[in-house]
Amino acid sequence: MTHYSDLEFLKLSRGQKIGYKTASFFRSIPIGIANFFKKIGLGIGKGCKAVGREIADIGRTFRDGDIHTKMSFFIMGWGNLARGQILRGLMFLLFEIVFIGYMVLTGGYWLSMLPTLGTKGPVKELDPILDVFVTKYYDNSFKILLYGVLTLFFIAAFIYTWRVNIKQNKLAEQILKSGKKLKSGREDLRSMVDDKFHKTLLALPMTGIIVFTVLPIVFMILVAFTNYDGTHDGYYSNLFTWVGLDNFNTLLGWSSGNKAYSAAFGEILTWTLIWAFFATFTNYFLGMMVAMLINKKGIRLKKVWRTVLVLTIAVPQFISLLYVSKMFAKNGLINQGLMSLGWITQALPFWEDATWARITVILINIWIGIPYLMLITTGILMNIPQDLYESARIDGANAWQQYSKITLPYMLFVTGPYLLTSFTGNMNNFNVIYLLTGGAPTNPAASTAAGSVGYTDLLITWLFKITTGAESKYYMASVVGIMVFVVVALISLVVYSAMPSIKNEEDFQ
Amino acid sequence: MKKVLSVFLALTMALAMCVTAVADDKPLAGTYDVKIWVAEAIVDLTKAQIDNYNATNEDGIVINPTIEAVSEADSATQMLLDVEAGGDLYCFAQDQFARLVQAGALAQLGAGASAFVTENNDAGTVAASTSGDAIYAYPLTADNGYFMYYDKSVIPEEDIDSLEKLIADCEGAQKYFAFEMQSSAWYLASFFFATGCKSEWKTDENGEFISVYDTFDSPEGLIAVKGMKKLVDSPFHVSAGGADQLANGAAILVSGTWDFAKASEILGDNMGVADLPSFEVDGTSYHLGSFNGCKLLGVKPQTDALKGAAMHRLAQYLTGEQCQMERFEAKAWGPSNLAAQASDAVKANPGLAALIAQNAYSVPQGQIHGSWWDVAKVIGDDVKNAADEAGLQQALDNYQEKIASLFTLDDSV
Repeated sequence: MTHYSDLEFLKLSRGQKIGYKTASFFRSIPIGIANFFKKIGLGIGKGCKAVGREIADIGRTFRDGDIHTKMSFFIMGWGNLARGQILRGLMFLLFEIVFIGYMVLTGGYWLSMLPTLGTKGPVKELDPILDVFVTKYYDNSFKILLYGVLTLFFIAAFIYTWRVNIKQNKLAEQILKSGKKLKSGREDLRSMVDDKFHKTLLALPMTGIIVFTVLPIVFMILVAFTNYDGTHDGYYSNLFTWVGLDNFNTLLGWSSGNKAYSAAFGEILTWTLIWAFFATFTNYFLGMMVAMLINKKGIRLKKVWRTVLVLTIAVPQFISLLYVSKMFAKNGLINQGLMSLGWITQALPFWEDATWARITVILINIWIGIPYLMLITTGILMNIPQDLYESARIDGANAWQQYSKITLPYMLFVTGPYLLTSFTGNMNNFNVIYLLTGGAPTNPAASTAAGSVGYTDLLITWLFKITTGAESKYYMASVVGIMVFVVVALISLVVYSAMPSIKNEEDFQ
Repeated sequence: MKKVLSVFLALTMALAMCVTAVADDKPLAGTYDVKIWVAEAIVDLTKAQIDNYNATNEDGIVINPTIEAVSEADSATQMLLDVEAGGDLYCFAQDQFARLVQAGALAQLGAGASAFVTENNDAGTVAASTSGDAIYAYPLTADNGYFMYYDKSVIPEEDIDSLEKLIADCEGAQKYFAFEMQSSAWYLASFFFATGCKSEWKTDENGEFISVYDTFDSPEGLIAVKGMKKLVDSPFHVSAGGADQLANGAAILVSGTWDFAKASEILGDNMGVADLPSFEVDGTSYHLGSFNGCKLLGVKPQTDALKGAAMHRLAQYLTGEQCQMERFEAKAWGPSNLAAQASDAVKANPGLAALIAQNAYSVPQGQIHGSWWDVAKVIGDDVKNAADEAGLQQALDNYQEKIASLFTLDDSV
């Protein structure tokens, strides 16, 4: 495809301009994806180099360091203690003792079981005297996986601390050599609320994020590589174990076998993307239109209109959605009303037919979504400098030109990031789909893929059905969760870098 | 060394004698903290029944109960999520049985308890509590089946035996026929059982499914879907359940005893109850069948044999004739206990009478693989979309292909 300069572009006819822009947008997608992977590759390369540098530095420190530094390689904090930094030295030493104690007492066990996730499951025995079965429980795969991961985190923290300990020795040697004094414990404490205050403040949140966010995510990702499900709960029924990439194979259908999952996945992913696209943009443009209508000069009772629309927000979604879902049922309010009016003789298949159901959920979503967009855009619309419109009018621009050249670019610039988040939000819009249709109508072709998959199921509702379905396949749910993340991440990265708010950051400032 | 050994042996023997001495005299005596999950409707009743048990049992067992309201539909899900936090005794619908056994959430019954179950309960409910040769639960009710509620002001009495006439009546009166054909395999199996089709599972004693003997894809199955086609093609058929349908313009509802109270409230004197109708294909009439299921009471596996034994004693009491009759009197729950079923009061209950009439055509639910429900329910949609007989056959072929890909098929039971 030819690339036009700005001047050449202006000479093109209207149709050509649109064609050129569309083509270049689609061309930018693979480039964006390629760039993304290139960046990952570069990042890995950089990381490897950094590790190499660190190891070399550790080696040099050992070679060149004095006896205290060398001892610190084995007994953390030795150098600090020997050089008079008692507080630091004790902290390092304490950490090492706690670490070794933990590893000897329990960490070693969890780590050693991690490769197998347990070897002995529960045993059922009959107590002959009381004529009753009792169960003895042994290994617990779930705990092994959880504490195993925790132990790995702890080891990583230990390696990091050990590295800091060595770095400090090197630094201390340098400082002493140059004739300066080392910081005392008191000074260290003072610096915690002074120049190192950011570390003090961040210590608690960081620990929280690692324990309550990162650790569970790592755990959930690992579940995708096991056979953890309703019949392998890891303790009460059967142990679960590692299965490698089998589950990904099932979902993506690399090799022969049951293709139900891969077929269902393809279909659901397609619908999820279609849904996210329509749910986002219909709401966006219609919401903007409503806001503009209400903002228009000469419209009376502005506050009333806004209140009426906002009322839909005031009612909890699960109530309004369940109610609307009933309204559109075969013998619901809408169908019965239309029939008694004589407009139709048979009930309309709002939830029975795949295409009807898909269109209906999008339409109902508009009804719930518009008020939010109206609220957001009202503020932004009022913020557009009126002189822009005035000068446009003087130059003879009509309403459409004003909209497409002033309002829309401005809106896209300000709400670009919002559009992106609402797109990803809609991909995971569990509420609307689950409460309205529950995924119905059933997709006959996909009924062999855990849970009854329907035509309006999104990946997220499918995930829910897999988890709570007949066989509670947690591992498949985890795989689907990872796929959702991959899709969302790819789209976000590509779109984010193509957004006007990012590309032309200076435009409206 | 020998001395030490002999002292040790003597001590052990003395200890053993001590234990047997206690064992002879009320070995189970003691107080047990027990968490019990029952449906909200019977929480108070269960509390009273346990008080009664504490006062009357001869083993010296004192139960200190914590009774929580967890519905039968929900309890299996809750148990599977976290067995440790689950109730020691819990009620559940029989379709969850195999899942619970597989998940290690049900304690197998000893020989005495197994004999108690087989001797006192009807055969269908015993089958529902059995996997392989092992019994894992106590039948609690035997009323989980469906029959027909109808509006007498719309449906003439003489039409209730014919599906075709019922459909015509509904269409004539612009009223709905509510029968879950597109959303539930439990209901749509009705047509297949009518023509003698079978879907029966073999299980082993760990709750694992071995194979299925299934004849839905057969000449009889084709007759069944022809009958089903008549119903689903009617513009006034609605695939929905719940007594609410009767308030929303339905004149006929296929449902179970759980809707009895609400249905009579909605329809008042116009409420009619009957067994399911017959449909006609090629001049032969087939009476609609049904699944006939039950609710069960299970004991969570215990690590302490004494507590385990006490739990099983309590479970036997709660599922015995007396407690089942009390539940029938208070909440009209249909008993599984043979003696209770034979009582006049049970026979006189209209909802249960319809259920018993329908039972002549019903199939005990037994154990069914959880995924079967998802696969089989699709038949309803496929039949609705079928244009001709070839399309109907295609629906059956699709079903057959799917169960063949998922399960091990068996040629005979």
